[in-house]
Amino acid sequence: MSGHSIVLAGVEHVFACSDEQNVLSALSAVHHRAIRSGCHGGGCGVCKVKVHEGQWRRGCMSRAHVSAEEEAEGIVLACRIWPESDLVIEAWGKLPARLARRAGLLPCEADT
Amino acid sequence: MGVMRLGHVRLRVLDLEAALDHYTGVLGLLPVHRDPDGTAYLKGWDEWDFYSVILVEADEAGIDSFAFKVESEADLDRYREASLGHGVAVAECEAGEVPFCGRALAVTLPSGHLMHLYAEKRFHGKATGNLNPDPWPDGLKGAGGHWLDHVMIMCELDPARGINKVAENVAYFRDVLGFGLGEQVVAGPDGDVQAAAWMFCTTTPHDIAFGAGPRAGLHHVSFFLDDWSDVLRTADILAKRKVKVDVTPQRHGITRGSTTYFFDPSGNRNETFAGLGYLTQKDMPTITWTEENLWRGIFYHSGDVVGDFLGVYT
Repeated sequence: MSGHSIVLAGVEHVFACSDEQNVLSALSAVHHRAIRSGCHGGGCGVCKVKVHEGQWRRGCMSRAHVSAEEEAEGIVLACRIWPESDLVIEAWGKLPARLARRAGLLPCEADT
Repeated sequence: MGVMRLGHVRLRVLDLEAALDHYTGVLGLLPVHRDPDGTAYLKGWDEWDFYSVILVEADEAGIDSFAFKVESEADLDRYREASLGHGVAVAECEAGEVPFCGRALAVTLPSGHLMHLYAEKRFHGKATGNLNPDPWPDGLKGAGGHWLDHVMIMCELDPARGINKVAENVAYFRDVLGFGLGEQVVAGPDGDVQAAAWMFCTTTPHDIAFGAGPRAGLHHVSFFLDDWSDVLRTADILAKRKVKVDVTPQRHGITRGSTTYFFDPSGNRNETFAGLGYLTQKDMPTITWTEENLWRGIFYHSGDVVGDFLGVYT
């Protein structure tokens, strides 16, 4: 088990993530809200990120939320990637919640 | 005559073996059949028909379809005509098209979800049999879910564009299928937008629920347990197996259920739900929750706003 650093664009804190830990769980462990925490199974799509630097391995993730083209550009779900080196990532889109709020019916938490 | 109960759900999962391990080991469903392509069929120990859950591997999570069992073939004829009269698309399915079922109707709901109605399904029997039975069987795993209790689907709602698929589904289930409306949430500046609904064909507060979101999808599938201590025990099992928990045990105001929520390995939300809530009959007045009390209705003790409970779904 080896540790990697996860740098999240726009956030000063550097997260530690082992190669046996998915990136979302590393972020969730310190209760950081820059990336939304959803189903943790690759199905709901709210933890979408773009990986700018580094290598990772992937698990199953829903094509409803990440197209093959997006994946080729490093756009993935944070709950379904495990680092194999240090990573630089960026939160990518928050579409489901934004749309829900626009409907004016679902009092969601404020953006952070 | 009429719709008897929720018969099954067909769930899309990203990893079939992981899903099968979850639905048998965590929820305690019993595997009854595999298709040559791996598609898995499961049932709760207290159910008598052959299956209530189908797990099919796909590249997207979510609900593929769900089905209600009706009393007779004549009901299918009646519902076909009434659906068409209501402007809802219906197709006939020959026996076997819905696996192990007789002739069925494929209904495309206003929300876009695919629903089957069928009158016959292969019989299997309860795990305790039906002659001088024990109250529960030996060897249950995990939560030991009794039966598939209800499903909640997400329906598109955008008042600015005049879209309310919750209300359209409610009208179909009420006017065509004869369901009762147990509870509803009304929202919007004038309190006239039906933003969620819980409907029944049995005598419990809901057999199906409709929630509002930006796109159609699955909110959760729910499995019945006897009581509160079973819900607590389920939460222990979730922790032991490191299952992603969504909502720790608590009570809903809406339906009065004792509940805990969690996600299957593909992110489909599951619920284990205890207590029958209260008796519903077709003449029971509908219970209404206003928008400002929505979260008290969902999480009765805290009333906390948890946007992701509605915003996260497959």
